[in-house]
Amino acid sequence: SHIFKKNHDVTKTWKGKTEQLLRVDDHDFTMRPAFGGPAIPVGVDVQVESLDSISEVDMDFTMTLYLRHYWKDERLSFPSTTNKSMTFDGRLVKKIWVPDVFFVHSKRSFIHDTTTDNIMLRVFPDGHVLYSMRITVTAMCNMDFSRFPLDSQTCSLELESYAYTDEDLMLYWKNGNESLKTDEKISLSQFLIQKFHTTSRLAFYSSTGWYNRLYINFTLRRHIFFFLLQTYFPATLMVMLSWVSFWIDRRAVPARVSLGITTVLTMSTIITGVNASMPRVSYIKAVDIYLWVSFVFVFLSVLEYAAVNYLTTVQERKERKLRERFPCTCGIPHSKTMMLDGNYSESDANSLAGYTRNQMVPEEEKQEKMVVHLAMSNESNSSRKRGLKGHVGLRIIQNTHAIDKYSRLIFPGTYIFFNMIYWSVFS
Amino acid sequence: SKREIKMRKLDSTKVRPLKSEQLLRIEDHDFALRPGFGGSPIPVGIDVQVESIDSISEVDMDFTMTLYLRHYWKDERLSFHSNKNKSMTFDGRLIKKIWVPDVFFVHSKRSFIHDTTVENVMLRVYPDGNVLFSLRITVSAMCFMDFSRFPLDTQNCSLELESYAYNEDDLMLYWKHGNKSLSTDEHISLSQFFIEEFSASSGLAFYSSTGWYNRLFINFALRRHIFFFVLQSYFPAMLMVMLSWVSFWIDRRAVPARVSLGITTVLTMSTIMTGVSASMPQVSYIKAVDVYLWISFLFVFLSVIEYAAVNYLTTIEERKQLKKRGKASGMYSIDAVQAMAFDGCFHDTDVDMDLTAFSDRCEENETRARAASVSNVDTTRIKRKRSLKGNVGRIILQNNHVIDTYSRIIFPSVYIVFNFFYWGLYI
Repeated sequence: SHIFKKNHDVTKTWKGKTEQLLRVDDHDFTMRPAFGGPAIPVGVDVQVESLDSISEVDMDFTMTLYLRHYWKDERLSFPSTTNKSMTFDGRLVKKIWVPDVFFVHSKRSFIHDTTTDNIMLRVFPDGHVLYSMRITVTAMCNMDFSRFPLDSQTCSLELESYAYTDEDLMLYWKNGNESLKTDEKISLSQFLIQKFHTTSRLAFYSSTGWYNRLYINFTLRRHIFFFLLQTYFPATLMVMLSWVSFWIDRRAVPARVSLGITTVLTMSTIITGVNASMPRVSYIKAVDIYLWVSFVFVFLSVLEYAAVNYLTTVQERKERKLRERFPCTCGIPHSKTMMLDGNYSESDANSLAGYTRNQMVPEEEKQEKMVVHLAMSNESNSSRKRGLKGHVGLRIIQNTHAIDKYSRLIFPGTYIFFNMIYWSVFS
Repeated sequence: SKREIKMRKLDSTKVRPLKSEQLLRIEDHDFALRPGFGGSPIPVGIDVQVESIDSISEVDMDFTMTLYLRHYWKDERLSFHSNKNKSMTFDGRLIKKIWVPDVFFVHSKRSFIHDTTVENVMLRVYPDGNVLFSLRITVSAMCFMDFSRFPLDTQNCSLELESYAYNEDDLMLYWKHGNKSLSTDEHISLSQFFIEEFSASSGLAFYSSTGWYNRLFINFALRRHIFFFVLQSYFPAMLMVMLSWVSFWIDRRAVPARVSLGITTVLTMSTIMTGVSASMPQVSYIKAVDVYLWISFLFVFLSVIEYAAVNYLTTIEERKQLKKRGKASGMYSIDAVQAMAFDGCFHDTDVDMDLTAFSDRCEENETRARAASVSNVDTTRIKRKRSLKGNVGRIILQNNHVIDTYSRIIFPSVYIVFNFFYWGLYI
């Protein structure tokens, strides 16, 4: 039994060491296989473990992947009865030749080294080598934010040999389009990963020649829900809140002013909040358009009330002047001189500084305003139909100003129209 | 002298003139070949003691853990002769010269072996060739988190160990003591989470290019402490909603007061919502805290709209009354409080005011009012005692509007019902 056990202990049957097995001492790792001869083909296979993060401010992305190289090196072939490959410790790569693939446009990258360097070296009896490592790489991705946050970004990770040109090393995807695999649960919180696909091209450097370059391309579509909740919805609510001001009595000066100015303040805070996490680009983004147009609406509601207030004051001053010219008109009762219909000619409308509105329905009780004339002489019904011109008198200012009335319809209508155009253009 | 001889005998550096190279026959040991190379897979037992969970990051969706990782395997090449069965402990730098398993953490982002004051590595060899290899590692690994119930959520995270190069045919990874292989320090705790349980499990992972690998899992569940969020988000939001109800109890004639109360609570809710989103990843679904904050925002918004409706209807009512009375001059006898509500100026006596005239200067209003009241002073008191109907020229506005009365009951009760539903659903 002791002898039997000894036979199964391969380290004892295998008298050799790696050095003897793979003839590492004769292997010159500075020379590529078939040095001086035809280009050596190196197949590449990638399994993407995760997309760690996409950063808009830095315009880069971070990816962790398993990168596998396949090539044939005759110098590493060894005799074997079975065709099984032998797996060696990763530290052996320091002694043999390996391809020098690097990531073009990468900012930072490292091979994971816990607990040991995450490297696998597997050699087949005929000299085929499988060399795999686990890498995290942060690479550049040019992002276009003109449609942010309704945008799609296309990023790509590029692999290339650093030293060997097309004539020395041919880099290719081992299984064509099937070379790129992804873990099932690869997902990002903010993006939907639309597709991964591979391409390859040649890259020309004027000083050094043509190189094979492999691309890992993927498209990311941003989830808009977060921005709807965070930016669009509060902005819309603020604009709606500013419309509330048109329904409040125009005599409530402090109320309408504070409503208007507070909605302006909140809009301003929302705008600042969005720009905090964005790069400072030189063009306007889709979300900027929405927020600034909403800001203009809110701003105009404040200006609208300023206009209403100013015109009311002007009106008041005119009235006072008229009253001063004809004293003691205030206490006198009234009835027969009251005009209850709204039939006025164009000239009256002008003299009232645009306050009145032509009503073509004289019998209607639904009056928007009342104007009282104090007659200087005999008053009759016929005088009512006469124009206001030539009558001086007292006016009761309407409770609702025409500007307010128009605004109640114009502002919401224009905002809804803007929304329809915006979402159809950008969605 | 007798003592001297005894002491000399106890000085073992003199007794054993060997070096570790000679003891363990390092020169013959090829670290590139695993024990049992070419034969059956070598079993490697794993034991983990978790020192601490350093942090859980929602934004990055990862966790950081510090642990002692221990490997147990048998390498005949390292056996040495010994009388007692005691193990020998060697310096950590010896591992560079022998074969060690290449365990790595799948889905890890960053990891390192602590190296202060020297590399935190322990190598202990038994006479029969059993090896105990221990490391102290800090690893940051991905954990996919689901925030749809945030902050009333429980997250399940796991740390995965696997050999990088050796698949199932070469290295069998297993938990040394089954489920008891995982031990934790007693005072392991996080500030924001309650660690529910640690458990160990194992499985197989398949890679299409390289085969089946043994994978060990360290699973733990974390339940979030809600107290911080109750204090930070829920409680302020609730208070803001209650504050907006105060508006229903204020006299509806106090226009600036009610409007600024409403709009300021809207602004505060908006600030609370921005604050919560700052420390969260931008996910595409709605979180539990979002549901609560947005519904509270809706309540506050509706209280502003409610007052706009009350104000508008009050204005219409007032205009109707004006028409019915048909008073030309527009002078009404009203008490001081009502007068103050309308123009915001202080009146100390009951005055006759021109409610429809408009002036932004309080003194002017005051003099006008006083002048009118002088002429009407006899009729004032008698007028007050007569009923409203048929009383020409006097409008005493009701202090309550029916909408306000209903709102005082409806808003709080609907909010309380919502709270019952919310807490019942999520807890």
